[in-house]
Amino acid sequence: ASPVKFPMLTLLSMFYYICLRRRSRSGTRGEALTSRRAVESGQRAVLPVSVEMEQYAKEVLDFSSHYGSENSMSYTMWNLAGVPNVYPSSGDFTQTAVFRAYGTWWEQCASAPPPFRRTPKGFYSQDYIELGFEEPVYPTAVEVLETYYPGAIVQILACSHNPFSQNPPTDVRWEVLWSGEPTKVLTPQARQFSPNIKHISFPTNLLRLEVNSSLLDYYTELDAVILRGVKERPMLALYKMPIIDISGLSDSEEELSDVGGPFRQGGDGKHQRTGNGYFDKLPYELVQLILSHLTLPDLCRLAQSCKLLHQHCCDPLQYTQLSLQPYWARLSDASLGHLQSRCTLLQRLNLSWTGNRGALTLAGFSSFMKGCGLSLVCLELSCCHFLNEACLEIISQTCPELQELNLSSCDRLHPQAFTHISKLTRLRRLVLYRTKIEQTAILNILTFCIELRHLNLGSCVRIEDYDVVASMLAARCHSLCSLDLWRCRNLTDRGLAELVSGCRMLEELDLGWCPTLQSSTGCFQHLARSLPRLRKLFLTANRTVCDSDVEELAASCPSLQHLDILGTRLVSCASLKKLLQSCPKLLLLDISFCSQIDMRVVQELCGLFPNVAIKKSFTQ
Amino acid sequence: MLSALSYGRLVARAVIGGLSQTDSRDYSLVTARCGFGKDYRKGILKKGMCYGDDACFIARHRSADVLGVADGVGGWRDYGVDPSQFSATLMKTCERLVREGRFVPSNPVGVLTTSYYELLQNKVPLLGSSTACIVVLDRQSHRLHTANLGDSGFLVVRGGEVVHRSDEQQHYFNTPFQLSIVPPGSEGAVLSDSPDAAESSSFNVQLGDIILTATDGLFDNMPDYMILQQLKKLKNTNYESIERTARSIAEQAHILAYDPNYMSPFAEFACDNGLNVRGGKPDDITVLLSIVAEYTD
Repeated sequence: ASPVKFPMLTLLSMFYYICLRRRSRSGTRGEALTSRRAVESGQRAVLPVSVEMEQYAKEVLDFSSHYGSENSMSYTMWNLAGVPNVYPSSGDFTQTAVFRAYGTWWEQCASAPPPFRRTPKGFYSQDYIELGFEEPVYPTAVEVLETYYPGAIVQILACSHNPFSQNPPTDVRWEVLWSGEPTKVLTPQARQFSPNIKHISFPTNLLRLEVNSSLLDYYTELDAVILRGVKERPMLALYKMPIIDISGLSDSEEELSDVGGPFRQGGDGKHQRTGNGYFDKLPYELVQLILSHLTLPDLCRLAQSCKLLHQHCCDPLQYTQLSLQPYWARLSDASLGHLQSRCTLLQRLNLSWTGNRGALTLAGFSSFMKGCGLSLVCLELSCCHFLNEACLEIISQTCPELQELNLSSCDRLHPQAFTHISKLTRLRRLVLYRTKIEQTAILNILTFCIELRHLNLGSCVRIEDYDVVASMLAARCHSLCSLDLWRCRNLTDRGLAELVSGCRMLEELDLGWCPTLQSSTGCFQHLARSLPRLRKLFLTANRTVCDSDVEELAASCPSLQHLDILGTRLVSCASLKKLLQSCPKLLLLDISFCSQIDMRVVQELCGLFPNVAIKKSFTQ
Repeated sequence: MLSALSYGRLVARAVIGGLSQTDSRDYSLVTARCGFGKDYRKGILKKGMCYGDDACFIARHRSADVLGVADGVGGWRDYGVDPSQFSATLMKTCERLVREGRFVPSNPVGVLTTSYYELLQNKVPLLGSSTACIVVLDRQSHRLHTANLGDSGFLVVRGGEVVHRSDEQQHYFNTPFQLSIVPPGSEGAVLSDSPDAAESSSFNVQLGDIILTATDGLFDNMPDYMILQQLKKLKNTNYESIERTARSIAEQAHILAYDPNYMSPFAEFACDNGLNVRGGKPDDITVLLSIVAEYTD
């Protein structure tokens, strides 16, 4: 027995030794931090591939909106890249990333479009931001440092494309790492949000956060995003991931290009023989009514079930409103092509957020617009970076009845492209927030689009002289009901005076962060007297707003609902009380950073006027 | 007492640095700060991070080292405004600009202009004014770019002599050029200079050059020869010796400021302008002392 024992023992001990060493190696998961200093000095830590690494965002690549000014580092989305500046402190600080809106205040305005039918229940996103990281990793965790009114994040996605590679994007896939409902955290204090994320089959260095701030009491502010992951694809032993990649079981993974696929005649006979059950007995209109409750992917899937339902599901009457925004990640030229035949009666189309990174091209878009443009009344194209001048020309040619056009944050659109909008003479609602439109183009538009009711020129930095624009509005657009001039650099009292005398129907006016309006000229009092129907007035960060202005608003604008006078030192508690007493419909009053109003006053006013949301932001 | 060997080393480096045309090493600034705030009411001095109403910053980015000082104008206190808020926010904003790389090393006036613009983007309604002096070392090109608005400033000392200095910008006696944010309606009454009014300069530096950036609390109390005397004590380029020297300069200025019989540069200038005064000038003192050294991580 001994000659066998020895080699056996040796073999066994060798085997045991090898197993032990293997275990110890996979047991240690050292965390090599891409330290703050390393990030700041531009160095990269050299790591073995199986170690988990932590990265802050390298660059902000795209976003739908922000509070701050273009080219500024205060309250702008670019602050989300890099190391945190504020966390773990809480407060309303300049060094954070802040979106343009919060709560439901903007949805209550007349300028807000009604929601689209068939919006899937799980789609809550209102804003988004895309971040690029240095190294592609298989993500194990994503942490978002929220420093003010947290709870807005509703979806985190990862992309297979490397945004820093020189190659053009091919086979771009977006995978949902986490999604949830919008929440409201009890206190506005800072928190680190780190939901459990799904493990994906590809390495990523491009993340997208989608937010919904509708439940929040004030602007949410984000400080940094941390991506934790491993460079090497994780082993089965460490993660519960199947080897075969099943690309998600949720509804949202359905490929829209599968819809309307060839319907085989072969199976027809069988279906006809068995009939369609009760569906054969229902009147056409009733089936249509039932189908009107289905979401778009379900409608497309149902079309493949039988010939009768195919006929119903492809009926253009089901597609008078079409929102493709929830499916932005998978929409392509092919999808549009398949939907085209059903969209001949299309009236409202939402393509916001779609088509980026080569998913939609001029050819696909123009073909679709030629098919459905005749009846189109509303076109939402927010953040559609595939748009170019030719696309706008197509729109102007194919959509003669267009009344609503939204080009919000289409900041890559060449200034020349906007000249085509003046051909859409039926326009009633035009949103050009954060676009590069220039003086001549907007004046041209205002000359011809005289039916404008709602105009948004927020953060349009290329417009040189807003007084001239105001003058043109006063001359041509007498039906103007809402005007957003957020951050318009050089509107003065002259332009404002002309505006309020010409546009008598104005109910909503956003003059936030317009530094050149001086209260001493009497322009705000003149405004109040001229616009008795005024419901919304934003004079955010106009440091000249004083008691007389507030008292005039109290006296002249009984319908006032939203008022923002953030950051003035000249308004006292007494005039605010007068305002609150005289404006019974007031719902929102933002008096943040008004130095004469302290928290005691705010509490007193809240007690006296419980129906008004009085906002007092803080920095510590 | 500077040892012959270390002094020789310093000189040799300076000479070699001056001779070699193709010195491809990156330079950097090793900087220490020291200062004393003047406590107005109690008459005692408080040491602090933000020295009284003065503020300063030291920052670096990939290609440059940047310093700055800002002297908050104390007169705002009479109107209920804390003068240190403006200077501190200005310097903090400059520091953030530099850290995030939102500047061009050869354009220090741009740092001031952008910072000032960012102050106006703050939700908080800031008020106040200050002078500003920004010094940028471009590591690769070995050029020092400076911008100065007001009566703070800098000196560059090489081989025991002042080779560069900033000029004071004054509107009239004791009223320097200043950046300000004024209450609405007071635009005519309160001095407010544009950041573009800052004077800028640009020149090469050598290894071993000493750069002293300070507010007028130093320059009004210590003439050049005294400063140079103190700088002779600087033995080598390590941080501790620089800090020690900065501290002794600031301390001496602080002592002289409260000497009623001492004929300070401020007193001399006042006499030249017809005001018969004597003694030092009690003021906030901020000193940033830097040496140009080889860049090491």
